[in-house]
Amino acid sequence: MIAIEYFLGLSAILFAIGAMGVLVKKNAIVVLMCIELMLNAANINFVAFSAYYGNLTGQVFALVSIAIAAAEVAVGLAIIMNLYKTRDTIGLDEVSLLRW
Amino acid sequence: MYWSELAWLIPIFPLIAFVVIGFLGNKLFKKAEGGGYVAIAMAAISCFISLMVAYEILSGGYPGELFKQSLLWINVPGQDLSFTFNIGIYIDTLAALMLIVVSFISTLVVIYSVGYMHEEGEKKRRYYAIISLFIGVMLGLVLSSNYLQMFIFWELVGLCSYLLIGFWYTKPSAASAAKKAFLVTRVGDIMFMLGLFIFFVGFGGNLDYEHIFNFNFEDFVGGNSMLTLGTFFIFGGAVGKSAQFPLHDWLPDAMEGPTTVSALIHAATMVKAGVYLVARSYPVMVETPDTMLIVAIVGGITALMAATMALNNPNIKRVLAYSTISQLGYMFLALGTGGYFFALTQEANAGYTSGMFHLMNHAFFKALLFLSAGAVIHAVHTEDMRLMGGLSKKLKITSLVMLIGCISIAGIPPLSGFWSKDEILASVWETGAENPIFYLLYIMGILTAFMTAFYMFRLWFMTFKGEPRDHHAYEHAHEAPKVMWVPLAILAVLAFGSGFALFMGFGEAIVPSIEHWHAHSEDIAGILTTIFSEWQTYLSIIAAALGIYLAYLMYIKKSINPDVFVATPGRKKVYDFLLARYGFTAGYDWIGLKVVYGLSLVVDWFDRKVIDGIVNGFASITVHLGNVLRKGQTGFVQTYAGVVLAGLSLIVILLFLLGGLI
Repeated sequence: MIAIEYFLGLSAILFAIGAMGVLVKKNAIVVLMCIELMLNAANINFVAFSAYYGNLTGQVFALVSIAIAAAEVAVGLAIIMNLYKTRDTIGLDEVSLLRW
Repeated sequence: MYWSELAWLIPIFPLIAFVVIGFLGNKLFKKAEGGGYVAIAMAAISCFISLMVAYEILSGGYPGELFKQSLLWINVPGQDLSFTFNIGIYIDTLAALMLIVVSFISTLVVIYSVGYMHEEGEKKRRYYAIISLFIGVMLGLVLSSNYLQMFIFWELVGLCSYLLIGFWYTKPSAASAAKKAFLVTRVGDIMFMLGLFIFFVGFGGNLDYEHIFNFNFEDFVGGNSMLTLGTFFIFGGAVGKSAQFPLHDWLPDAMEGPTTVSALIHAATMVKAGVYLVARSYPVMVETPDTMLIVAIVGGITALMAATMALNNPNIKRVLAYSTISQLGYMFLALGTGGYFFALTQEANAGYTSGMFHLMNHAFFKALLFLSAGAVIHAVHTEDMRLMGGLSKKLKITSLVMLIGCISIAGIPPLSGFWSKDEILASVWETGAENPIFYLLYIMGILTAFMTAFYMFRLWFMTFKGEPRDHHAYEHAHEAPKVMWVPLAILAVLAFGSGFALFMGFGEAIVPSIEHWHAHSEDIAGILTTIFSEWQTYLSIIAAALGIYLAYLMYIKKSINPDVFVATPGRKKVYDFLLARYGFTAGYDWIGLKVVYGLSLVVDWFDRKVIDGIVNGFASITVHLGNVLRKGQTGFVQTYAGVVLAGLSLIVILLFLLGGLI
């Protein structure tokens, strides 16, 4: 049995990488992928705690979270598609219309 | 059932007339002189009730010679602060006297107006509406049972005078005269209000006359010095309303209104309110001899000063206006004298009674003089006496009744003016024994009597005697219609005979309740002996006779050329100085232009720079701050995400540091 600390450590590392990517990457698709990373870091936590406590609720949550992530990706990709159609770019540093 | 119980109806009737005439439109009254007949009817009804009530009170028909009635208006109970305001009616002999004067003269003036205002067309409706309101509120003022109620009516009287003086508001001079009257009396009104504040606190939150007159003055909050200040401010209100020095200058300008309005303001309503206020406050005022002394001095100065200004004025109405101011000065002199004497010796002299006596007599002869002047103006369409002359051939009745008025005001026995003026001067002389300043005031009074006789007869001679100076006006002159000369005739009878009230117990009737004073002699012969055995009486008669003789020499016999008064530059300067009203007009303008305007500039600067500065400052700080802060809105999604993350991290760190999370 792998100790829960390893799961939590992996999850923290994944989350940090994801957060970093969201903040610094220019490509919108990469940012979306980084968000997936963060979500999955959370899923690992759910599952790890579920196994640790012997309680299935966490796993159910992980499944729900995956479903929502799929939906979110669909919406996100649609937005990016539209962005590309109107602005010919998916670089986040080039879309700053909503500002002062 | 007493008539006094109907007293509340007295002001109601003219007010009904005001509402009916004022709000029911032109069409209804097109035939009826623009509502003039309604005004007459209502004024006459209230006059009838007034006379019955006054008779009942004066003859002692009502038990206690004092009628009181009041409703609770506001009552705030409390330990530290409690106060009560009532609305009610308070009729003592003083109020009864005022009722007679106000209602009777007002009625005659309204009747006369039907003739005088006949050619005014649609404006008549406004005239009769306001004049009814004027009569109503003045009667309300007289009947008030407390100072607050009086103050309300007081302000309404001011409003009506404003509206009536500015009746011909399209004329710039009338509009500005109305404004002047309103603003100058406002100075007095503010003083009156300050006086009421002091009274309100001092008398424990109740301004009822009954409460105040029976108050133990030892308990006055603030002591006698505060009471003195209070009575002084109350007198200040009277100064404004009654056009006394130094707030007298609005009254001559008030001549811009129709002559009937002048007659009403001068004889019955507006200016008499000030005298009434002082007389009404008499039981309080006598507690403060300093105020009474000021009253007497202001009265004396005003009497003399206004008389000098009347000496050379060419405008017939202006001369009468100055004479009103001067006669009002006499009344204040009398009141001040009586009160001062009583305050010092606790013995009454004739001051108060003679002041009220003069008020009554003055009301009759001044109404007569103004309405006669109105008849003259009606006939020749000018107010300038230099364009009149020889009119006695055309205006026989008017010249005769006006002569009666002139003799009466000049103080020649046995006409009414003589009795009261003589009594005033006698009581001033008597008070001289207490304070020598009253000897000076006596001399001023005698000089005033001399000048009064002179300018009144100058007016009469210039108007009615000699050769007509403007033939065109003379040819077109015609006697006033009956509706005008009948009131004149009634007033002439009263101006002739109202002085005889002295023999019918006037002295005993009009005595303030605090003074248990009885006239020395009850029968006519006794009174006559008392009056004619003193040298002062002869002095005042001689002064009046000299004045008349001088006027006769100058304007009839022409043995003294009036031009000698402007012959040298020095004399001319004096002449112009009098015409310029001692520079008071200029002084008021100076105050308005320089002092008030300067002050306004300062206030304006303060408003613009400081007040607006603070407000604008806040606005511009907000704008600048916003300009700085909006830079935070970069539009880059990742910046926002960073801020969110940083904030979240901060919260987590804080929770770690401050505990709670673990």
